[in-house]
Amino acid sequence: MKYRRLKYLLVLAIPLAVFVGRPRVATSQGEGWFKTGINMGQTVIRIAVPDFTARSTDPRLVSLTQVFNQVLWNDLNNSGILNVVSKSLYPVNAPQEPQDVDFNGWSSPPASAQMLAFGYTEVRNNSLVVTARLFDVHSPQNPSVLAKRYVSDMNELSARDAAHRFANEIIQTLGGGVPGINLTKIAFVSNRTGHTEIWTMDYDGFNQHEVTNLPNLNLTPRWAPDNSELAFTSYASGNPEIYLYSLLTNRRITFPTYRGLNTTPAWSPDGKKIAFCSSMGGNPEIYVSDANGLGLQRLTFAPGVNISPVWNPKTGNEIAFVSDRSGSPQIYIINSDGTNLRRLITAGGDAEAPSWSPNGLFMAFSWSVRETGHWDIYVIEIATGQIVQLTQNAARNEHPSWSPDGRHIVFESTRTGTRQVWTMLADGSHPQQLTAKGKNWNPNWSN
Amino acid sequence: MRQKKRSLALLVGLLGVVILAASCHKKAVAPPPPPPPPPAPAAKPTVNLTAVPSTIESGQSVTLSWTSENATSLDLQPDIGAVQSSGSTSVSPTESTTYTLTATGPGGTATSTARVTVTAPPPPPPPQAPPAVSEETLFEQNIKDAFFDFNKSDIRPDAQQALTADADFLKEHPSINFTIEGHCDDRGSEEYNLGLGDRRANAAKNFLVNLGVAASRISTISYGKDRPFCTENTEACWQKNRRAHLVMGGK
Repeated sequence: MKYRRLKYLLVLAIPLAVFVGRPRVATSQGEGWFKTGINMGQTVIRIAVPDFTARSTDPRLVSLTQVFNQVLWNDLNNSGILNVVSKSLYPVNAPQEPQDVDFNGWSSPPASAQMLAFGYTEVRNNSLVVTARLFDVHSPQNPSVLAKRYVSDMNELSARDAAHRFANEIIQTLGGGVPGINLTKIAFVSNRTGHTEIWTMDYDGFNQHEVTNLPNLNLTPRWAPDNSELAFTSYASGNPEIYLYSLLTNRRITFPTYRGLNTTPAWSPDGKKIAFCSSMGGNPEIYVSDANGLGLQRLTFAPGVNISPVWNPKTGNEIAFVSDRSGSPQIYIINSDGTNLRRLITAGGDAEAPSWSPNGLFMAFSWSVRETGHWDIYVIEIATGQIVQLTQNAARNEHPSWSPDGRHIVFESTRTGTRQVWTMLADGSHPQQLTAKGKNWNPNWSN
Repeated sequence: MRQKKRSLALLVGLLGVVILAASCHKKAVAPPPPPPPPPAPAAKPTVNLTAVPSTIESGQSVTLSWTSENATSLDLQPDIGAVQSSGSTSVSPTESTTYTLTATGPGGTATSTARVTVTAPPPPPPPQAPPAVSEETLFEQNIKDAFFDFNKSDIRPDAQQALTADADFLKEHPSINFTIEGHCDDRGSEEYNLGLGDRRANAAKNFLVNLGVAASRISTISYGKDRPFCTENTEACWQKNRRAHLVMGGK
């Protein structure tokens, strides 16, 4: 809670760029004033993460321990709130038990760590058992912050799961109580099989698999608030329709079909409503219905395209969407009862693909300021109109989607030549490519 | 009445006289003279009929030639009748025919036959009727797509021309149902382009409906930027993809 307020105040304190003709936006890289995480206004926490030790030479244990160590490191390194100290600066002996910890060695230069995550792995009853601790090495009298034991199956996915859980605990503890995102998933569209289908993967790009196996095009996946369902657009019947798919039963859930284009479904944060675009009345407009399709209401009445609705995840009372009623696509916000329509970005160009930050304060979007064919990811602070550019290169960077902790953004980029799914921290740093096979696009981060 | 009775009596009387006379005459008959020698038998006629050539195609002619001896009359059938004792004639039978020449003379009759085989003529060259063209082919030959400006679904003047010609063709072929696909270039989000493609398809549909094409014949679908005609990053390629594409079928 605290970090959000700090960030909010800090952004407010930035002098507004004056938009004259061509919009001028601040760039984040190199200036470092737009940051997310608890490092806003306090020292970055330095954490040392020596490799966990396998307590036997069982080759399965050795292999799974390597996986655990790598995943834990990556999770903490990608958290956006921690400075993971390089292993070359560590004391020689990696501790396994509390009595092994050399407090002075870890807290002094060159390691200069405040926190130390350590532990060991073993096999018991044919299960992988990980004993994991987090110590504050600046408090030798009362160092224990976390002490956890994870018992899991002897396979790679379970070892990864154990590392993700421990990383989540550390991040939640050190990150202001915000749960980590290491067990979240990303839905996206892929044509790698020759068919355009909905896929999901872990947040770090591991464990990619196909969800749909339907003919024709399957597009625009969106997670239900409880992550139990995906909503998407399917051309399986020949006409674009809204499909709801239960990930618990692996079955399609009925939703009404309408004539014309039906696409971009989006759940309200309470899961009770779905906003979507339909041209059932002849023009693509925003509609809202109950999640079962009853109680259909039309929200927009404007010639032109009205599409890509997203709910304010904090209040559930507002919907942002894309409309070209002004001549080119721009982002608008309307109350969910259809009142109080306003345009979000007054500068020109094409602004599309809004994604509302989990705290309700920011909107990420893709923007082509001129008709250059170049697209980049931007974030606007809704209350002030202050805009920050997160990506800067000649390729197309589009379709951002916030992680549930508000510290990460997944997006699609053509920077490697083909359209692929990438993540980055919400300040534009730490870009990570998650997909490589075929083309992959339209990512949506789970809740 | 009295007259009849008298005639009847006379008849009966006469009959009795005749019977009496006959019975008496039989005893008085002389032996018969020897029969005259039979006359010398007349020579039997001979006849020979040929057809040259013996095989013709329908419409061609064949020459029938004949000679005969000892015949007083010759009859050539079918259809020709009495002919001289020798000669020839030209015939054009339309089907295979066996000609029979019958010679009749004091010595009897004789016949000779000649078979003329008529083959079917080669099939006439097929009449030069216009080749049957499918509606699919006509549709592809005549229908033109409508093209659009970037981010726009307005029907441009060139698209008006194309769609007006399309409407003329479609009204002449009222049985054709068709689908208008809306397409976009790949700039901008997939989602916005789905909406833009829908707008383009409907704009083209409304234009055709205003020109008198029944709305019930027209389906629309947007493929956004997901089914491009061209995949290069050039304006020429982008323009190819910004279109309302008409295809047969749907509904």
